[in-house]
Amino acid sequence: MREFLQLVVVGISTGSAYALVGIGMVLVFRTTGIVNFAQGSFAVLGGLFMVELVDELHGLLAGLVAVLAVGFVGSLVGFVAVGFRHRTTPLASLIITLGIALLIASLNLLAFGDRPHTYPTIFERAWDIGGVLVQPQYVLVAGVTLLAALLLTLGLQRTIAGQALGACADSRRAAELVGIDVRAVAAIAFAVSAGLSALGWVLLTPVDPVNYDSDVRIAINGFAAAAFGGLASIRLAYVGGLVLGVAQQLVVGYADEIPGLGQQARQYELAAALVIMLVLIGWRARHEVHE
Amino acid sequence: MSTPPLLEIEGLVVKYGPAVALDGVSLSLEAGERVALIGPNGAGKTSLLNGVCGLLEPAAGRVRLDGRDLTGRGPGEIVRAGLTQVPEGRQVFPTLPVEANLLLGAYGREFRHELVSATLRYLRRRGEIAARLERVYSLMPKLRELRERPAGRTSGGEQQMVAIGRALMAEPRLLAIDELSLGLAPLVVQDLSAFLLRLNEEEGVALLLVEQNAVLALELCSRAYVLEAGRLVLAGPSHELEQNETVRSAYLGGGLDVADAEPGTQTEPGP
Ligand SMILES: Nc1ncnc2c1ncn2[C@@H]1O[C@H](COP(=O)(O)OP(=O)(O)O)[C@@H](O)[C@H]1O
Ligand SMILES: [Mg+2]
Repeated sequence: MREFLQLVVVGISTGSAYALVGIGMVLVFRTTGIVNFAQGSFAVLGGLFMVELVDELHGLLAGLVAVLAVGFVGSLVGFVAVGFRHRTTPLASLIITLGIALLIASLNLLAFGDRPHTYPTIFERAWDIGGVLVQPQYVLVAGVTLLAALLLTLGLQRTIAGQALGACADSRRAAELVGIDVRAVAAIAFAVSAGLSALGWVLLTPVDPVNYDSDVRIAINGFAAAAFGGLASIRLAYVGGLVLGVAQQLVVGYADEIPGLGQQARQYELAAALVIMLVLIGWRARHEVHE
Repeated sequence: MSTPPLLEIEGLVVKYGPAVALDGVSLSLEAGERVALIGPNGAGKTSLLNGVCGLLEPAAGRVRLDGRDLTGRGPGEIVRAGLTQVPEGRQVFPTLPVEANLLLGAYGREFRHELVSATLRYLRRRGEIAARLERVYSLMPKLRELRERPAGRTSGGEQQMVAIGRALMAEPRLLAIDELSLGLAPLVVQDLSAFLLRLNEEEGVALLLVEQNAVLALELCSRAYVLEAGRLVLAGPSHELEQNETVRSAYLGGGLDVADAEPGTQTEPGP
């Protein structure tokens, strides 16, 4: 039982970071119709920027700068990916985001080298809750993610700028017709989603080091989280991320106990993620048919 | 002659790839006028509106508002110049509340290039926009009742009101409505047309009514143009067109036979 809880705690925390990536994918997909595979790169950039900045600045400030910087990169990516009015199809945009992801990974390799990066957590020691060791960093990631998801939802519902994003999601054509510049809104959607992805790894890096090529794993997990709600729902992407994170930890944790698998279990993490997601999506689809 | 017309379209051509949807159409409309554009399905009416409103880039021709050349400008600029379109099929924002739909009409008008300054401009004008919203609610009290309901969960007639209200929030001097009556019950259409008439007479908003339903359009407007296969085939005062044999037979489902057109109407050979 203790081991189970231990795994769940870790799963909720990594799952939260996946949820942030997934929420970003939903936001971009809803407003632009683009599946953004550079989303994992934004997360990696967030982690790497944070590792660089945390030596020079106060942790809070370093995090803020890292998130804003990645947000800015995201808006540029958005402008490129959306392309020319009526001339760039969503499929072309998707391929552009793949290209950008490769580009960012190469630049990261050049700038940061081929080894995992991390920075020390500010928390002195783990909390012992009934025998379960809880790293405060895990709680921080989970808490900030929940807060960010709530704020985003509130902002989309209650502010006129958020509603403008909703308008583009509902009908790009009608949004254009009332005078909203759909490309500008797309750039904002990319910026916000990049910032969210970055936030996840700004916080998670002390307990889950990032490498230049972590982007693929993160993008696939984020996509799986988003796919849980059909790329349409922020709430379900959040739930999808948590479920995925926990399920992955459980698979990897208990795979240790299967003779002959042992240390290789981590390699199956990604495959496990995909299988879990397929099962969940299938289950949800059946559920909806029956409703 | 002294002041230019509110809307002037000259030789407008709209293409989809190689297919010509609109083949050199000219028309004009004065401030405060009610003008109809009628024609069968596929004639090019929607293409004309979209070419004028900046959703499509015209292949040739000119669009002027108040004499200012706005050919090929984006939709936002057209809206700011005083022309707002109520699109075919309403196209409300279904997941957003009715009130958000309306406010976005005002927000879109402030939108130039990017979102942050647009939001600031919008917030600075908050007072005026609230007053405008109040005016729209008093014109269409039904919308006030529905203000919190997602627009997608309202009836077709209510969605048409939302779309018109959203357009009015941009303070247009010319409202171009694409297929007001499409898919709506006759009673609902009657209410809406009575409302538009009042809007035109009390607020001086000019109307360009684009309709397949020629009976309705001719009844509501003082002048009309008839479009067929991308070209204008007839134009004139509604009461004259109503008497026109070809127009009459067209209402009944026959094609327009231009050879029978009465004198005094502009003619172009149909296909
Ligand atoms: N998006 C499009 N792509 C290609 N052809 C189109 C498109 N929209 C309309 N058309 C064609 O252009 C012509 C005019 O259509 P439209 O402007 O919608 O007519 P109307 O509004 O009078 O029914 C039709 O032949 C139609 O098939
Ligand atoms: Mg049409």
